[in-house]
Amino acid sequence: MSVLDHHTLDISPRISEAGVADYIALLKPRVMSLVIFTALVGLLIAPGHVHPVTAVTSLLCIAVGAGASGALNMWYDADIDALMSRTANRPIPRGRVLPGEALAFGLTLSFFSVMTLGILVNWLAGGLLAFTIFFYVVIYTMWLKRWTAQNIVIGGAAGALPPVVAWAAATGSLAPEPIMLFLIIFLWTPPHFWALALFRTDDYARANVPMLPVTAGPDATRLQILLYTILLVAVALVPWPLGYFSAVYGVTSLILGAGMLWLAIRVYRDRTGSAALRATRGLFKFSILYLFALFAVLLCEVVVSAAMRMIWS
Amino acid sequence: MNTSIVMDSKEPQEGIVLTPEQKKRQRERSIAIALALGVLVILFFAMTMVKGPAVLQRPI
Repeated sequence: MSVLDHHTLDISPRISEAGVADYIALLKPRVMSLVIFTALVGLLIAPGHVHPVTAVTSLLCIAVGAGASGALNMWYDADIDALMSRTANRPIPRGRVLPGEALAFGLTLSFFSVMTLGILVNWLAGGLLAFTIFFYVVIYTMWLKRWTAQNIVIGGAAGALPPVVAWAAATGSLAPEPIMLFLIIFLWTPPHFWALALFRTDDYARANVPMLPVTAGPDATRLQILLYTILLVAVALVPWPLGYFSAVYGVTSLILGAGMLWLAIRVYRDRTGSAALRATRGLFKFSILYLFALFAVLLCEVVVSAAMRMIWS
Repeated sequence: MNTSIVMDSKEPQEGIVLTPEQKKRQRERSIAIALALGVLVILFFAMTMVKGPAVLQRPI
């Protein structure tokens, strides 16, 4: 009999039992839906006519590119995902998908989304999509996330790029409007994710992820949330007086901005007990509504003005 | 001792044998890949129709 027990030398290949749903989960569908929505706004507010087939192709490529980033993020972060209650149910920590399978899936989708957007639409959009994937996977996931408390501040650029990619797909160039949309999402990211991190501090500490509440403490985080919210509200208002977006957008931005500011002040003020938890959860939820509503107003304006043109013509 | 080979249909198969669940998942994944490739083909076809002769003009 062999010295080594045959059980220790089990080299039979692992047969994947991953279903389609597991691969869809790798794409982070909730993040993907926000990406599609912001990209749709970037696409529709762009000047000129975009053929519906070009629009659908662009949105599909941007969505698949975002999903590929999510899969590559889950591949690299499988070790810390397993330690955090929010992410422990993802397909790799659960053992449904092997890390290598997620890597191959992410790389394949990245390649096809970038090449398809480049070949079928234009290479500025394709290049920007490639940069977005690179920034999210390499700069944010592999470098910043485990290294600095400013991870989500800088990494937020990846999440803010989809409307810029969509504008580039529609026009083949860049302009101030998509840059403004970029800045709104970019400045929205820190208060949104730090509010989440405030009531998930233990999770991040257990996984050794240097989120601001872990490294600088909750009080410093509350101050940073307030400062970034002031900056966000101001930047989200600026396109109105500059004449890029309409008064409807401006008034919506003013009202919702006041709400964001009030909730950020509550987070700064209420620091203990259930009031503190209510305040941070309230800001986290309202921040989603805030971003959605700002972009929805821009979308509605485009739809209404197109409908008006059809009626008058 | 009888050394003759008996051809039994229930003889265990050699190599990797998939369980029904694994076969089902494999089939689902294959269908999903086929659908994705089908969508890609349709996209290229539709964009070629939309662009018309301009599809051949590809400034770098």
